[in-house]
Amino acid sequence: MQLFTHNTMWRRYPLKDRYDVVIIGAGVHGLSTAYYLAKQGVTNVAVIDKGYVGGGASGRNTAIIRANYLTREGVPFFRESLKLYEDLSKELDFNLLFDQSGRLDLGHTDSAVFGLRMRTGVNRLLGVDSQMIGPTEIKKLVPAIDLRRGKNLPVMAALYQSSAGVVRHDAVVWGYGRGADRLGVEIHPFTEVTGIVREGGRVTGVDIGDQRIRADTVMSATAGWSSNIARMVNLTLPLVTHPLQAFVTEPLKPFINRSVSSANLHVYVYQTDRGEVVVGGGVDPYSSYSQRSTLHTLEELAANTLELFPFLRGVNVLRQWAGLCDMSPDYAPIMGEVDGQPGFLLSCGWGTWGFKAGPIGGYTMAELIATGKTPDLIKPFNLRRFAEGKLVNERAAAPAAAVH
Amino acid sequence: MASNGTGERLSPGKHELIDREVVVDFEFEGKLITAHQGDTVGSALTAVGIDLLSRSFKYHRRRGLLCVAGNCPNCLMTVDGVPNVRTCTMPVTGGMTVRRQNAWPSVDHDFGSILDRMDRLLPVGFYYKVFHKPKILWGIMRPIIRRIAGLGRVDTSSDGGPAYTHRNVHTDVGVVGGGPAGMMAALEAAATGLDVTLIDDQPLLGGQLLLDATRHTDPAIDDMQDGTGQEIAEVLRQRVAQQPGITVLNGATAFGFYQDNLVSIHHGNEAIEVRAGRVVIATGAIEIPMQFENNDRPGVMLASGALRLANLYGVTPGKRAVVITADDSGYSTALALLDTGITVAAVIDMRPEPGTSELAESVRSRGVEVLVGHRVVSASGTKRVSGVRVIGPDSSERNIRCDLVCMAGVWNPSTGLLLQQSDTAVEYDEQLRESVPVELPEGVYVAGAITGIHDLKITLAQGKAAGRQAAGFDYEDASLLRAGERDYRARMRAPGSSSGSQTVLSNPVKTAKKEFICFCEDVSSKDVEVAVSEGFGDIQTLKRYTTATMGPCQGKMCHSSFIESAALQTGKTIAAIGRTTARPPAQGVPLGALAGPGHMPRKRTALDDVHRRLGAEMVEVGPWLRAHNYGSPQDEVVTVRNRVGIIDVSTLGKLDVRGPDAGALLDKVYTHRFSNLREGRIRYGLLVGENGSIMDDGTVTRLADDHYFVTTTTGNIDAIEDWFNWWLAGTGMEVFVTNVSSAFAAINVAGPRARETLVKLTDVDLSTDALGYMRSTRGMVAGVPCIFLRIGFVGETGWELHFPTEYAEHMWNALMEVGAEFGIAPFGLEAQRVLRLEKGHIIVSQDTDAASDPLDAGMRWAVRFDKPDFIGRGGLVANRSRPSEEKLVGFVMHDRFVPEDGQPIVKNGVPIGRVTSSRLSPTLDKGFGLAWVPEKLAREGAEIFIRSGKTDSPAIVTLKPVYDPDGLKLRE
Repeated sequence: MQLFTHNTMWRRYPLKDRYDVVIIGAGVHGLSTAYYLAKQGVTNVAVIDKGYVGGGASGRNTAIIRANYLTREGVPFFRESLKLYEDLSKELDFNLLFDQSGRLDLGHTDSAVFGLRMRTGVNRLLGVDSQMIGPTEIKKLVPAIDLRRGKNLPVMAALYQSSAGVVRHDAVVWGYGRGADRLGVEIHPFTEVTGIVREGGRVTGVDIGDQRIRADTVMSATAGWSSNIARMVNLTLPLVTHPLQAFVTEPLKPFINRSVSSANLHVYVYQTDRGEVVVGGGVDPYSSYSQRSTLHTLEELAANTLELFPFLRGVNVLRQWAGLCDMSPDYAPIMGEVDGQPGFLLSCGWGTWGFKAGPIGGYTMAELIATGKTPDLIKPFNLRRFAEGKLVNERAAAPAAAVH
Repeated sequence: MASNGTGERLSPGKHELIDREVVVDFEFEGKLITAHQGDTVGSALTAVGIDLLSRSFKYHRRRGLLCVAGNCPNCLMTVDGVPNVRTCTMPVTGGMTVRRQNAWPSVDHDFGSILDRMDRLLPVGFYYKVFHKPKILWGIMRPIIRRIAGLGRVDTSSDGGPAYTHRNVHTDVGVVGGGPAGMMAALEAAATGLDVTLIDDQPLLGGQLLLDATRHTDPAIDDMQDGTGQEIAEVLRQRVAQQPGITVLNGATAFGFYQDNLVSIHHGNEAIEVRAGRVVIATGAIEIPMQFENNDRPGVMLASGALRLANLYGVTPGKRAVVITADDSGYSTALALLDTGITVAAVIDMRPEPGTSELAESVRSRGVEVLVGHRVVSASGTKRVSGVRVIGPDSSERNIRCDLVCMAGVWNPSTGLLLQQSDTAVEYDEQLRESVPVELPEGVYVAGAITGIHDLKITLAQGKAAGRQAAGFDYEDASLLRAGERDYRARMRAPGSSSGSQTVLSNPVKTAKKEFICFCEDVSSKDVEVAVSEGFGDIQTLKRYTTATMGPCQGKMCHSSFIESAALQTGKTIAAIGRTTARPPAQGVPLGALAGPGHMPRKRTALDDVHRRLGAEMVEVGPWLRAHNYGSPQDEVVTVRNRVGIIDVSTLGKLDVRGPDAGALLDKVYTHRFSNLREGRIRYGLLVGENGSIMDDGTVTRLADDHYFVTTTTGNIDAIEDWFNWWLAGTGMEVFVTNVSSAFAAINVAGPRARETLVKLTDVDLSTDALGYMRSTRGMVAGVPCIFLRIGFVGETGWELHFPTEYAEHMWNALMEVGAEFGIAPFGLEAQRVLRLEKGHIIVSQDTDAASDPLDAGMRWAVRFDKPDFIGRGGLVANRSRPSEEKLVGFVMHDRFVPEDGQPIVKNGVPIGRVTSSRLSPTLDKGFGLAWVPEKLAREGAEIFIRSGKTDSPAIVTLKPVYDPDGLKLRE
């Protein structure tokens, strides 16, 4: 059947000595940048990763796609990403299992509801379909939820973004990888960049052990490991890497069709198409590069899940894991050129919001590389904002941003 | 109901776990099933002839008992409303209700099984390739797929079953696994006088020995000459019971092995956290399925599963068996089956020649055909296995009729728990043909079949060695043990003695769609072949694409077959293909067990009862419950403005800061200066982060030369206490910071008649001359020692009284009593919010956020740039040199309209700012509040527009408090 021809996802090549663009990191940002670059005709591109394709945060995040952020800079950026996601399965000819079943951010206290209302107001003005809904509507959308009437932290209201959804994260990575490969991009997994070459005041390539590879542009899309790559050009980034933990349960018949998040309870919950319940929370309170999970966090996530869905008490946890989040001080990404480092580009500071921005992050970075001009959408996210004191203030939605 | 007609009870066996005298009834899909005490649901159902236990995840294939050890997905059912219960290990209890799942209309007749015949349409990863064009198709297909997927159904109206408790255990040595190695390790470690916890997931200690009826000579256990495995287990069990210092946890599943030797255990209705000084991992190995077509038919079992059923539960697993074996254990299995009266049609030895010829001979001598160098290519039968197709070394094929297939001798060392530790490595051993531990973290030891060695003598010696080492001693016979291990390896190399794993894929070139590697996810050898051809050539992406090893068995049953298959398909060695990451839990664990009893602590002030008696509406503020109002916030505001009100402010954070350097510490962490504060004076304290953004505010009072009393906001006290200590650490400053929040209750008495009220209860001179605004003193009120803080958050003359918590109710009542003649009344949080808003006082984290600095928030007066340094000075100096973008200002509406907190301020439909607090002003009788606006609008009289719903309402900016702008009232 034509439907199921076994096309190779991406081919293997020997590393060349020279590329126009080298992208470090074969996650969603690296691969989507490569894909959109190739679409613009820049095909002499290598995406290099020390591990397997999609093995970092792209393979570990919980794949909730939403745009209900807080700031004038953040909301349009994530809104455009969501728009790209809407047509991405078709674009990549790969079913990414993306659905827009909606997302609820619950508020259990006055101050939480205040924060949600702030976001709703900004969202609606900037073209994101957020609305505040009350307990009755919440129950209609998520009949299985315990509204906690008469208990501590009753559900008072929710921010509902109906266009938000969930995607199969691995499929997005593979889809971009396959798309980029078909347009001529080389993908080199299990290949570790050990140094960045600087000559004549600009970045001119990377070292892979003994092998030197020249490139006009080197872009780092290494999320949790960005600080280490930046150190190769003597750059200190205002990033702190924190682990974030999540778990899934054994598969169940569907009982919830939307993703539900509670900043007050530090938990978010949704059910995959396979029936597994995915649960995550905020980042761990300490910084670490460890991707090993802890019992304490698992217990907390489990307890908090049961506050909203008590009937899950007998359901088994199947798997627990941790990923790394490169948290920026203002909870906004760091993208674009780096002053004093021509030839070197950053796409980092992806914290807990990176996967949502995968398509637009790649799209805008590709435009920057191809045209040499920074798109308006990402101008506010340049690294120099920290020197200029022009922080993006997405952190004002902090408890919510820390919860997917 | 399907019945194979073969399930029945064997005559009583010596080692069975059931009590045939005691009958237990339970309900199975509406029918009453009679079982014995000690039965599992799985054994009881098999005993009455029910062998179809579940439908598989993807193809809805018929599945029956396979492992009888709680490892595989084949027996998942819903028990008492809890889905996905492993019924093969779930003990029966009277009255329990059991039903099968994942089928419609029933497991016996499942429409979903049509998918089994549509396999060509459902290749690996098919869902990535279909249904996305046109876009609307996915919208239609997704709900259908969701309905078909999933296993059990949860009852969303239930409370989810029993509550669990949490328990902590501290032990010198933790031993995981109660087989011969684990028992031996526990005995050795305890013999040195240490405290040992032995953790075993079975109801009875013994591990594989419980099924081992073969005779072992000289097992090297004291005076024992020889004995069957079962007898040896009995001896060891008795010794464990008699050895002081060993605590045995039976039926306890160790699911997590976290940092610092934290072993987490699921044990009945409790979760136990065991913190062990050292840990012995003796989790053994589990038998895993072999590869042939239809290797998942009911009746195809692991040999250990069949023996468990027969030996432990007295249930016949079938009537006519074929044993396929990859090592000598198949012969023992055949003999054990024969002993229980089951016919063995043939033993199919996959090795080119039999290992121990005496064993093969003794099987032959009992009339069983032994086929050496043969392998099974497929199983026949639809409802249950009815025969196997066997191929010989000369490629001749034949069918053998049977209703039971026992797969023996392919082992997968149980390293799932061990691998959760860092600094651990498991590698494929070419000689042993199993993946075994090669690198262990400090203080962790392994023994037994987990090492890939299946030899009782070596296992026992390994147990001894591990126990000795875990106790901190050398093992005297280490060289002897190493020699034994070397000898075992040499035997493995000898022709004809191949152990199982390499022969699992008996026909490496030919793959089959229904030759299952992963039973949980229905992933076959064909699926792996296809996925590899699609470019998923590394084990990590191959796993994610095929979903092999990602199901409920946690990879226990399939991981080694999966990596072998991947190696074959990619042409790499098994060692080179690597492994996927082992993640907790090693065995599924219920959310309830992790959550524990479940409690959400709430803090209540000492006046909580008083508020409730007064009919207060309580509200959650951070961890606290506070009185929001006592009926009418508006009336409460009027009380404070015109008469006298009292409010419980006990939730304020309170720090006692003492020592010669107390002033210096406060100068460092606050923007203001406090070292020059005179005794008895109070100053507003504003605390900023390193970048200058506002973190907290409160008051700082100098009680004595080296003694300050600090208040913080209700929600931030713990963070601020940490913050003080953080900046104190390593400085050598002599300061003691003590959190006295709970020790002191606090009541604010405010209003024009507050002084008249208070003087009735105290001798302290409260005149403005004696105790002016922002002054403090100490004295008695109603017989209680108090700190008086004359401050004015609500804008009226007032005193915040801080006093020992135990007098809170007495103080409240005394104030209410003497204030009655002045019209005293309590006021709640809501009234306080209105009162403070009229004064333009901010609430940190309501009116400020992570990016707000004091300069923009209009509090530059609280920042002393002339101090050489304080936390956040650098950030604020930088901010001062840049143009401000947003300012916090007051605003007043033109009418009584009150925007909601959080609504945006707009210009041309674009958000340019936001309302942070908004109320109706009793003073102005208009809506008013605080808002962040662009700097150029931060001037008196500027017009702004607030978006509510679809309308924009105009408001006027004001930079002054709307009530008593010059602060005369609170100084009266």
